This record gives sequence, C-alpha cells and structure tokens, in this order.
Amino acid sequence: MSSDEVLLSASGVSKRFTVGSRGLLGGRLQLSAVDNVSLEIKKGETLGLVGESGCGKSSLARCLTRLYDVDEGTITFDGRDITNLGRRQMQPLRSEMQMIFQDPYGSLNPRRRVGSIIGDALAIHGSRGKGTRRQQVQELMEIVGLNPEHYNRYPADFSGGQRQRIGIARALALKPKLIVCDEPVSALDVSIQAQVINLLQELQREFDLTYLFISHDLSVVQHISDRIAVMYLGRIVESGPVDEVFTASSHPYTRALLSAKPIADPRAAEQRDRIVLAGDLPSPISPPSGCRFHPRCPKAEQDCVTVVPTLEVFRGGGPDAQKVECLHPLEADQDLSSFTPSIADTIIGADAAATGSREVAS
Amino acid sequence: MVLLHVTDLNVSFDTDDGVVRAVRGISFDVDRGKTLGIVGESGSGKSVSTQTLAGLTRGARVSGSAQFDGLDLIKASPSQRRSVLGRKIGMIFQDPLTSLHPAYRVGAQIIETIRAHDRSISKSKARERAIELLGMVGIPFPSERVDEFPHQFSGGMRQRVMIAMAMALDPTLLIADEPTTALDVTVQAQVLELMRKVQAEFGTAIILITHDLGVIADVADDVAVMYAGTIVERAPRDEIFYQPHHPYTEGLLDSMPGRVERGQPLRPVKGAPPSLIDLPPGCPFAPRCPYRFDRCDQEVPALQTVFGDEQHQSACFLPTDIEERKALREQLVEKGGIR
Repeated sequence: MSSDEVLLSASGVSKRFTVGSRGLLGGRLQLSAVDNVSLEIKKGETLGLVGESGCGKSSLARCLTRLYDVDEGTITFDGRDITNLGRRQMQPLRSEMQMIFQDPYGSLNPRRRVGSIIGDALAIHGSRGKGTRRQQVQELMEIVGLNPEHYNRYPADFSGGQRQRIGIARALALKPKLIVCDEPVSALDVSIQAQVINLLQELQREFDLTYLFISHDLSVVQHISDRIAVMYLGRIVESGPVDEVFTASSHPYTRALLSAKPIADPRAAEQRDRIVLAGDLPSPISPPSGCRFHPRCPKAEQDCVTVVPTLEVFRGGGPDAQKVECLHPLEADQDLSSFTPSIADTIIGADAAATGSREVAS
Repeated sequence: MVLLHVTDLNVSFDTDDGVVRAVRGISFDVDRGKTLGIVGESGSGKSVSTQTLAGLTRGARVSGSAQFDGLDLIKASPSQRRSVLGRKIGMIFQDPLTSLHPAYRVGAQIIETIRAHDRSISKSKARERAIELLGMVGIPFPSERVDEFPHQFSGGMRQRVMIAMAMALDPTLLIADEPTTALDVTVQAQVLELMRKVQAEFGTAIILITHDLGVIADVADDVAVMYAGTIVERAPRDEIFYQPHHPYTEGLLDSMPGRVERGQPLRPVKGAPPSLIDLPPGCPFAPRCPYRFDRCDQEVPALQTVFGDEQHQSACFLPTDIEERKALREQLVEKGGIR
C-alpha cells in the first residue's frame, strides 16, 4: 500500500522540442510537449497518467526518468535532486527506475536470446543477487510466469503476452523502486491484458514497487491506479484519488474524456450522457491562449481565453487532494452537457479550423 | 430483411509451416439497416472473413457462399465483384492513413471513387458531391479541405474522409474493420456517432469488426463472437452481454476491467489461443475452458439454439437450459474457478 512518503516529485517541469524547418524570420518552431507540470508519486502507489495521443504523457515520463533533459523545473527522486545530474551520475540511479514499453515486438531485440535480454541489466549494473546470472534470470522468468526452460529462446518464439512478460522481467531484474509502465497492455488482447494487469499488481505487492502507469485506456487506469493525473496538451489539468476523479471530476476535459470511455455494458452505455467534444487536439506548436482547453470547452467563459489557470486544490487536502487547473471547475452535481460556451462563436470556429488541419506530434 | 447471407465460409492459407485455417465454416446474416458486430481477438478470423467477401484475400483457398443482392460474392468474377464493391458495399479500415493515397488530394480520391462506377457523372458534379460528403461527415470548411492532402488531416478527420468515401455511392452495406481502434476515445466517440447518424439517415447495414466490447455495446444490434476461425456464439446484443452461453464469451466479459471491485484481481481467460495450423481435435476453446469435460476434447460442438431463443446460438456442449447453465456458472464461481 502507499505511504505518504514521496518517491518522485516534479515541480514546474517543462520540455520543449525544436521542430520543422526554419520559418520566415529564420527562427525554428518550438513544440511545447510538457508545460509547467508538477506532480508527486508516493512510495508504493500507482499513479495513473491519462490523456489522448500527443498530449505529452510519454514525454513527461521520459523527463521524470531523465531520459530527456528538462528545460525548466526540478525533479527529485528519493530525496535527491536529479534535475541536472550527468549521464555518469545518473547511471547508478537507472537501476532504481525502470520502464516497460507498449510494443512487445519493438522493445525486445529480435536477435538476442531471452536470457541475455533479461540478463543484460544484471551484467551492466553488476549482479547483486545470489547465484549465477543464469539462475537469477531463470528465477525472474519464473516470477513473471515464463517457463525458465525457455532461457535460450528468441523473442519471436513468444506470443505478445509472453513478450510483455519478458519486458517486465527485464524491468524487475535490478529490483527497481519505480517502474514507468508506458501503455504496457495496449497492444494485447483483452483476455491476455487481464493476465498482465494481474501480474503487475501481484509484483507490486510482492516487491513493494511504485508505478507510474501511462495509458489511454480509462478502464484499465481506473482499475490499477490509486491516484490519477489527467493530461491535456502538455499540462496536467486534473489530479486526485482515482475514485474522486472518476465519480466527481471537476475539469470539463476530464468529464468529457470519461464520458467517451467505452463501457462493455449496453444498458449503462445507453443511460449515460455522452459529451462529444468538437474538433481535435490543437497543435502543441501554437497552443491556444489562456486555458489550453478553451476552444473545445463547453463551459468556456471570456476569461478562459486570456487567463492561464494553474493547478489548484479543489477538494480535500494533503497528498490526497483533488486538484484542478480550471477557472470555472464543475461541482459534482453539475452536468457539463447543460452548458454552452459564453465566448464569441467566431473564436471557436476559427480555432477549430486552425487546429483541425494540423498534425499533432506525439 | 436479409441483405447478406453467408453460409459455410472457409478460408485457408498455405504457408511454409502448414495450412493456416483462418476461417472455418462460418455462417451469418446481415439485415438491412442493422449493425452486426463481429468481436474476437487477434487471429480469430474476424477480418479475414469480411476481406474474403471483398475479394481481398488473394492466394487464399476459399469455399462457401455469400449471397448479396442476387450475387454470390465468393463465386463472382472480379469484374462482377467490382461492380458491387464501392457502389453497394463500402469499406473502411483501421488505419485511415494507409488507406488513403498520400500523394493525391482527398477530393480527387473521392471523385475517383464516384466516377469509377459511373463515367456519366462529370468531374465538376463529382467534385460537388465530394464537398457535400465531406460536409456530411463533419469536416469543417469542406470546400477548402477537399483540395488538401491526407497528411493535412488528423487521424479522426482521416477516418471521416474514409467514411465519406465509403458512403459516396450510397451503399446498402458498410463494412467497418476496427474503424476506431487507432483513435483516441473522444475521437472514437465522434466517429461512432457519425456511423450511427449515417445509418439512421441512409438505412445502411453495417458489419462492425472490433476487439472492443465497449464499442460493440455502443453500436451493435446483433453480435457474433469469433474464436479460432469459428463463430462460437451469436445473439442479439443484450443476450451476449447479460446472458452469454459460451464460456469464451463469458471469459471475455470477465476479463474486462470494471467488472470487479478495484483492488481485486481481474479474471482473465487462462492460456492463449491455439495455433490455426495445429488445432486441437475437439472444441478449439477446450484447452482454456474452465468448464471442460471429456466430450470437449473429442468432438467439435456445432452452433445450436440455446435458452429457447431462436436468435441465440452457441457452439458449446453445456446445458442449453438457462437455469442449468446459470447453476453451472455459480458452481464454478464457488469452486474458485472464476475468482
């Protein structure tokens, strides 16, 4: 279970990428992938990070694990400021933060045997367990539900679900404190997906792991997370304990996102009010002014166009507070579909047209 | 009224490793103006079966029949098939970027579709129709966007373009193969909404292929559940969700997050699907089935009516009486076979 001790915290983290060819004035375009994000991950908890493709979930995860250098802000891991650590200084910390990736085909080298894929980390960081490396790897394979006799097989000999287990064994090898799971079950069929989710939860209990769980599948995130953070266009727009956010979300975007979640229950699906957002995700190269969600927000008011909201405590307090980044958050009993935006329609039309055409980089 | 009548469709591929029996004797009907959802996991044969109807499975060995509008799509010559495809049957696929030609303007691609079937339509008339279609599927400023290239559209917009193209000649059947799988949930909601709108307006029948039971719950009237190349259960939507007979359907539903209390483990189906080259002799689901008994390993169960409901069929030896079937489920839950 989670304690109140913070394992990883980020404060005001921003990450920009330079993209495209030189413009008219010779300057290159800046893509703001992560913008002023602050969050905390407590020891032993699962923080779910949700949002649509291109919203910056993976970029944020890479900033937090220092796979990317951040442009602004600070990152603290286990009480230590790691924001500006160099490659060599980071290396001992790498064993404490591991990643599991989405694509069980692309994330394993097809020309190497399973034993060496899992065992490489042990070789690089120096074995710390008992027994030979082979014994250690086979023990890991057993823990994640693979047959240890398959030590010498290649990734191609395994199914998608089994490959994801290999990825998990690799992440576990160095006994990390934090595992960043970036869409770990998105590529798997539903029956296999459930097996892998159960495995992740068992491992968390057994090894006292902390997860940052990134997914676009809201049902999965709801099931596995203690707290969730919702991202929109590089910013965290709402965060809080999973039950509060799922039952009483206060940001209009969260509300719309949750209402679009497919439910495998026809009667429940028919009963709910669905809020279909207009338009697409705007380009992070030229994000909208004020609140980044205002061009699509059913509840937008005039000040949303100019004032940039910050993430503020909305309900509760302490580490379990529900926070929202909205000038006019929704109360639990308010219905988003009853609102119409009170900003000039021309602005919305123009923004939708401008953003609808543009490619959104992820 | 039945629009498409598929009987005993078999599709197999010769590979270096042996014969892959991708679709094994499936039969189904699609009614006018209705949506048939075909659900199954990767490799269950759900896409191959509809691709075969469209003549897209080159090199496959195909048998069976598919009656559509007085024509057997399986035995039809390529030119006969071409006269139907695009005109009476529209198709949309999972990945709208690879389904659109990157070097042609979207308008030109829609115009080509229209004029391929009727040369008497002038280019300017076809262009007007293309603009009208883009407007219908909710593309803002269609008269300008018609001259843009696919890369200038977002994923959701591209899928709208695909739907516009598929609907160009007002088909009676739309085959949608995982149309929203590559899209985010908010965009998925927009596209499903659009498909519903198109169906209500034009009375188009839809075959919707998906792995996502949430999408099925949203739009299907009838559901066929596929496993290892066969239809294992077929019923109106609510029967599938609330009174499944086949253990695989039950297992799929049980695997969904959201069906158990948070903090409790999920209830996955054990194991993995069989190889389509080397199928088990009996029921293909038997090795993973929590109800398995001796007969399952020896005989292949055929689809039969269950629960006294003509529309509900299941390929399983378990009791067809609803009370007996429910009692078995309860026993299994008690024994801990399903947590």
